[in-house]
Amino acid sequence: MSPSRTEAPPDAGQETTALAELKPLLPYLAKHRRAYVLGLATLIAAIVLRLTIPRLLGASIDALEQAGSAPAGATAAARERLLSLVGWIVGTALLGSLVRVSSRLAVLGTSRRIVHELREDLFAKLLRLAPSYYLRQSTGQLLSRSLNDLVNVQTLSGPVLLYIAETALLFGIGAAMMVETSPLLTGAALLPFPFFIVQAGRLAKQIQVGSRAAQDSLGEVSDKVSESLGGHLVIKTLGLEAADARRFQEQSEAYRGLNLRVTRARARLMPLMSGLTAVSILVALALGAPRVADGRIATGDFVAFLMYLQLLSAPTATLGFVISSLQRGAAAVARIQEVMVAEESLPELPGQRPPRDPRGAIEVRGLNLEREAPGGAGRPKRRVLSEIRFELAAGQTLGIVGHTGAGKTTLVQVLARLLEVPAGVLFYDGEDALELSPKAVRRSIALVPQDAFLFSATLRENVALGKPEASEEEVLEAVRIAQLERDLAQLPQGLDTVVGERGVNLSGGQRQRVALARAILVKPRVLILDDTLSAVDTETADRILAGLAPIMAGRTTVIVAHRLSTVARADRILVLAEGAIAESGNHRQLLAAGGVYAQLWRSQEEEQQGPRGRPAPAGGRRAP
Amino acid sequence: MSAARLKASPAKGAPSAPGRPATPAPWEREDGSGPRAKALDVRLLRRLLPFLRGQWGRLSEGLALLLFTQVVRLAQPTLVAILIDRYLLARDSEGNWATLLAVWERLAAWGGQHLPGRPGPLPLLALCFAACAALEYLARRRQAWIIDLAGQNALFELRQRLFRHLQRLSCSFYDRTPVGKLVGRVTSDVEALQELFSSGVVTILGDFVNLSAMAAVLLWLDWKLALASFLAVPLLLYLTAKVRVKVRACYEIFISRRSRLASFLHESISGMSLIQAYAREGRAQRDHGQLSAEIRDAQVVSVGWEAVLSALTELIGSLVTAAILWFGGSLVLEALGQGAPAAAGALTLGVLFLFTDYMGKFFQPLTDLSLKYTVLQSAMTAAAKIFSLMDVDDVIPERLDPPTPPPARGSVEFRDVTFSYPNRPDEAVLRGVSFRVEPGEHVALVGATGSGKTSTLKLLLRLYEAGAGAILLDGQDVRDYALAELRRRVGIVPQDVFLFEGTILENLALGSRSADGRPLSEERALLAARRLGLDEIVARFDRGYRQEVSERGKNFSSGERQLIAFARALAAAPEVVVLDEATSNVDTRTEELLSHALDELLAGRTALVIAHRLSTVRHCDRILVLDRGRIVEQGSHEALLALGGHYARLHELQYRGDGAAG
Repeated sequence: MSPSRTEAPPDAGQETTALAELKPLLPYLAKHRRAYVLGLATLIAAIVLRLTIPRLLGASIDALEQAGSAPAGATAAARERLLSLVGWIVGTALLGSLVRVSSRLAVLGTSRRIVHELREDLFAKLLRLAPSYYLRQSTGQLLSRSLNDLVNVQTLSGPVLLYIAETALLFGIGAAMMVETSPLLTGAALLPFPFFIVQAGRLAKQIQVGSRAAQDSLGEVSDKVSESLGGHLVIKTLGLEAADARRFQEQSEAYRGLNLRVTRARARLMPLMSGLTAVSILVALALGAPRVADGRIATGDFVAFLMYLQLLSAPTATLGFVISSLQRGAAAVARIQEVMVAEESLPELPGQRPPRDPRGAIEVRGLNLEREAPGGAGRPKRRVLSEIRFELAAGQTLGIVGHTGAGKTTLVQVLARLLEVPAGVLFYDGEDALELSPKAVRRSIALVPQDAFLFSATLRENVALGKPEASEEEVLEAVRIAQLERDLAQLPQGLDTVVGERGVNLSGGQRQRVALARAILVKPRVLILDDTLSAVDTETADRILAGLAPIMAGRTTVIVAHRLSTVARADRILVLAEGAIAESGNHRQLLAAGGVYAQLWRSQEEEQQGPRGRPAPAGGRRAP
Repeated sequence: MSAARLKASPAKGAPSAPGRPATPAPWEREDGSGPRAKALDVRLLRRLLPFLRGQWGRLSEGLALLLFTQVVRLAQPTLVAILIDRYLLARDSEGNWATLLAVWERLAAWGGQHLPGRPGPLPLLALCFAACAALEYLARRRQAWIIDLAGQNALFELRQRLFRHLQRLSCSFYDRTPVGKLVGRVTSDVEALQELFSSGVVTILGDFVNLSAMAAVLLWLDWKLALASFLAVPLLLYLTAKVRVKVRACYEIFISRRSRLASFLHESISGMSLIQAYAREGRAQRDHGQLSAEIRDAQVVSVGWEAVLSALTELIGSLVTAAILWFGGSLVLEALGQGAPAAAGALTLGVLFLFTDYMGKFFQPLTDLSLKYTVLQSAMTAAAKIFSLMDVDDVIPERLDPPTPPPARGSVEFRDVTFSYPNRPDEAVLRGVSFRVEPGEHVALVGATGSGKTSTLKLLLRLYEAGAGAILLDGQDVRDYALAELRRRVGIVPQDVFLFEGTILENLALGSRSADGRPLSEERALLAARRLGLDEIVARFDRGYRQEVSERGKNFSSGERQLIAFARALAAAPEVVVLDEATSNVDTRTEELLSHALDELLAGRTALVIAHRLSTVRHCDRILVLDRGRIVEQGSHEALLALGGHYARLHELQYRGDGAAG
C-alpha cells in the first residue's frame, strides 16, 4: 500500500485550521525574514514596473493619435515624445526583469534553505526516536515525511507565498491604476472575476482530488503488475494467466476511469482563463467604446486598460491550485509536526549515568509488560510478559525457547534496553536500569535480530558498523567466527564488495551471519541472538556457537531459538509459554523434569535424527 | 513463490551465486541505458498506430477543433483593432488592412439589415466578439477532452497488450530481468506516452498553427513591421534554449541527488535500531546534512536559472513591444510628415494594437517549445523501451496441434535429460538424468545445494526447456502437451508460498480448475482446506476464510502459508504433486498440522519431493540422490544408509550437526 493512500486527504472544511497548522513553520520563516522582506520589496517594485508598461504604451498611442490630429508641423515633437516613451519602456523592462529575478531568488531560494533546515531537524529527531517508535511506524510513512511532505512545505514557503503576494499586489496596484482611468469601467470589467475564480477553484479541487485518486489507482496497477510478475511462476504453473489478465484489466479500467475524470475537469479549466479575459474585455468594450468615442477616455488609456485586464486574469486559473497547495502544505506541516513531537520513549533523563563497570550480569525481578496490540494506539493493551524472574551472572549463557508468540522477542528487547520498564525490575550488574543512561547500556549490549539488516555499503563497513576504526585483523576475526569466510571467498571484491539493496544480494543466512560478525566485532558485554541462526544450517550454527565460546568467555550470551539443540548447552534455559516462564533450568534438569521442554526435545530429536537412536547430549559446558 | 527466491533459483546451480554479475537484458541494453531517443521517431510512432485504431474519429474531431480554435482566437484582437480604427478614431487606411475593414463594413451592413433587431455596427461587433470568445471556450474544452480520451483509450490497449505479452514470457526471461524494471514499463513508461496526447504532439501542433497564422496575418498587414517584430524571435529562441539546458542540467543533478537522499533515508530508517545500537548517530546526521545541503544547492542554482528564464521571456516581450512602437510609430509619423494628414495612414493605431497584442502572445509558445521537446523526448524514450520489450520473444513454444493427451495416471519419466540455464549455458545443471516414477509412487530428491533438485522439478513443469533427452508424463513427451494441460496435471507446492491479494478463499480457489480449464466452485476449495485442518488457522480471523491476505501473506506464519499452498494444490486435484519443501523452522504445532496435511495431499497421488527434513524423506517410497547433476544413488532410506555412500554422508552431516549441539 502506498503511503499516500493511508493519509487522510486534506478536507475542504479544514481551511481555517490549515492556517493554524502552519504555526510550527513560523520559526523557520522568521529566521529568514530578511530574505522575505527583500523578496517582498523587490516584488512590489517588479509589479509596479510591469504595470507601468501598459501606461507607457498607452501614452505612446496617445502621442501618435495627437500627432495625427495636430497640424503637420507637430510630427517632430511627437517623434521626440515617442522616442522618450520607447526609451522608458526599455528601461522599465530591464529594471523590471532585474528586480523580478532578485525577488524570485530571494523567496524561492529561501524556501529551499528552509526545507533543508527542516529536513535536518526532522532527521535529528528520527535519530533520537526509540526503536519502539519504529515498530509502530512504517518505513514508507516516515520516508514520505522526509521526502513528499517536505516538498509540499517547500511549495508552500516558496512559490505559494510568492504567488499569493504577487496576485494580491497585482490586483491592488492594477485595480488602482485602472480606477484612475475609469472607476465605473473598472468595477464593471472586474465583475466577472469572482465567478470565474470560484469556478476555477472548484475545478482545481476536482483535479487535485481526482489526480490523487488516479495516482493511488496507478499505484494499485503497479502493485498488481509487480505481484503478477513476481508470482509469474505460480501463475504459469497453476495456469492462471487468463484470470490474472482479467484482474489487471479491471484495475487498468478503474485507473482510466479516474484519469478521465481528471481530464474532464482539466479540459474545462484550461480555456477558462481566456474565457475570463474575453468576457471582461467584452464588458470593457461595451461600456468603454462610447466613452472613448466621445473623448471622455483617451484611446491610449483604454488600450492600457485592456492590457491590464489581460494581466489580471492570467493568475486566476492557478488560484485554485494555489489554495489546495496551501492546504496540502499545511497538512504536510502537521504530519511532520507529529513526528517532531513524538514522545521519545526511553529518553536520556537527567541524573542517569553510564554503568560503572559493565560486566554483563542481568537480573530480572518480577517483570510484567503490557503492549498495544499491533495496529497502533487505541488498541487494547495485552499482557505479553508476566512475572518474569531470573538472574544471570556475567559469563553465563541463557537460552530462551517457546512457541511463536510466547514473548521471547519481547523479553530480549527488554534485556537489550529497548522497551520501557518500571523501576526495580531490571538490573544490570546490580544497578537498576532506570538509573543508567539507556544509550550507554545499549552500547554494552549487542542484539542480533532474526531479520538482519544490511546497509548498502561494503561488507567491511557493514561489519565494522559499531567500530569503524577496527583493524583488518579484527574484522577478519569476526568474519571467521561468524562462519562467513567461505562466503567471502566467493564475493567478487571480498570484504570490499558492496552488499545490501544496491549491492550483491546475500542470502538470509549470510545476512544473519554478517549481523553476527557485526555484533562480535564490538565485543559486547552481553550478546543477544534473537533466533539469529534460524536460516543457518545446523552444522554451521554449531560451528558458530563453538567459535563464539572463547570470545564470549566471561561475557553474557542470550540465545533465543526454535531449534532446541542450539540452546541445549546453555547454563540456563527459560521455557516461555504465554508470556510466563513455564519451566526453567539447564538441559538435563529440564529433560529430567519431563515437561514441555522434554516433550519438545523428543519430537525434534526424532524429527532430525531418523529412526536410529542418538546418543544423549554431551551436556553443557558447565554441567552442574 | 516470492520473486527473490525465483530469481535466485538459477544461481543455485553455481556456488558462487552471490557474485552473479548483473548482465542487462538485451532489450534493456539497447534502449534503457542508451542515449535518449529522438523527439519524434517515425518508426516508433508507426508502431503506435495499431493502438489508435478506433480512435481516428476522435482524433480528427480534435484536430478540426484545434484549427477552429485558432481562427476564433485570432479573430478577437482583430475585432478590437477594427473597433479602434473604425469607431473610436474613424481614420482611413490603406492596403490589406483597408480590405479587411471593408469586409467588416459589408458584413456589418448585411447584419444591420438581415439580423433580427437590426443591430448597429457597434453592437454587432460586440456580438461577434462574444460569439468568438464563446466558441473558443467550447471548442478548446471539447478538443482537450477528446484528444485525451483518444490517448487514454489507446494507452489502455497498449497496457493490456504489454501485460499479456509479459505473461507469455518464459522463466529464463524473468531470471535475468528485475521485476521492478518491468513494472516501470507497464506503469510509468506508458504514462510518459500519455504526454504525447495530452501535452505533446497536439499542443505543439496547435502552437505551430497558432504561430504561423499570427505571422501570416502580421506579414499580410504590414510585412516591414512584421519582419521587424520577428527580429527578436531567433534571439529569444537561442537564449531560452541555452537557459533551458542549464535548468535541465540542474534538474538532473537534483533528481540524482534526491534519489541518493531517498535511499539514504530509506536505509537509515530501516536500520535505525542499528545506527542507535552502534552509536552512529553523529555520522548519520553528518551524512544526511551533506546530502540535504547538496540538494539545496542544486535547487538554489536551478531557481536562479528559472528566474532568469521567466524574466528573459518577459523582458523580450516588452522589448518587442518597444520595437513595434518605435518602428511602427515612426511609420505613422512618417505618413503624417509627408503631408497626407488624416488621409492614408500607412499604419493605423488599430494595426499597431493588433501587432502588440499578437506579439504579446507570440513568445510564450516559443519559449515552451524546448520544454515540450523534452517531454516528447521522454515519451519517445518510453516508447522505445516499451516496444523493445514487446519485441522480446522469449517464450516456451507450444504445439499448435497438441495430440489428444493420454489418460491421466500420474507416471513421470526422465530419459537422459541434460540441462543448463539459458543465462549460464556453460554450467551443466543436469548431466543425463534418468528415472521413472510409477503412478502413486512417492519419490524424494535429495542432494546438496546446487545438485539440480529444483531444476528437475522446473523441467517437469516445462518452465524451462530441457537440453537433450526427454521428459514424459503419462507416457507422452511434455513438449506435446498444451502447457495448460501439463500444468493442470502437475500441481506444485513451492518452497516460498506466493499469496495474492484477496481473501484466503480466493487464494485457495486459484488453482481449482476442472479438466476443461474452468474454475471450480469455492466449495471444493473449502473442502480441501477443511481436510487439511486449515479451519484451525482461520479460526483466529473474524471473517474466517473471507479474511483478506495482507501484503502477500504477512499475516501468516511461514508454516501457515505452507498449509495454504497444500490446500491450494489439493483443491486443484492434480495427478502429480511436485513439492519443494521449505527449509525454515516452524514451530511444533504447525509442524504437526503440516505433516498431517502432507499425508492427506499425497495420498493416492504421484509425488516428487525435494526434501529437507528426513521425516519427509521417510514418508517416500524411494529416494533419488543427486550430485552435481547426476543421480548417484537411489533406494529406500535404510538401503541407502546401509550403502554408506552419498546419502549416508549427507545424513551423517546433518546428524553430526545436531549431535554436536546436543
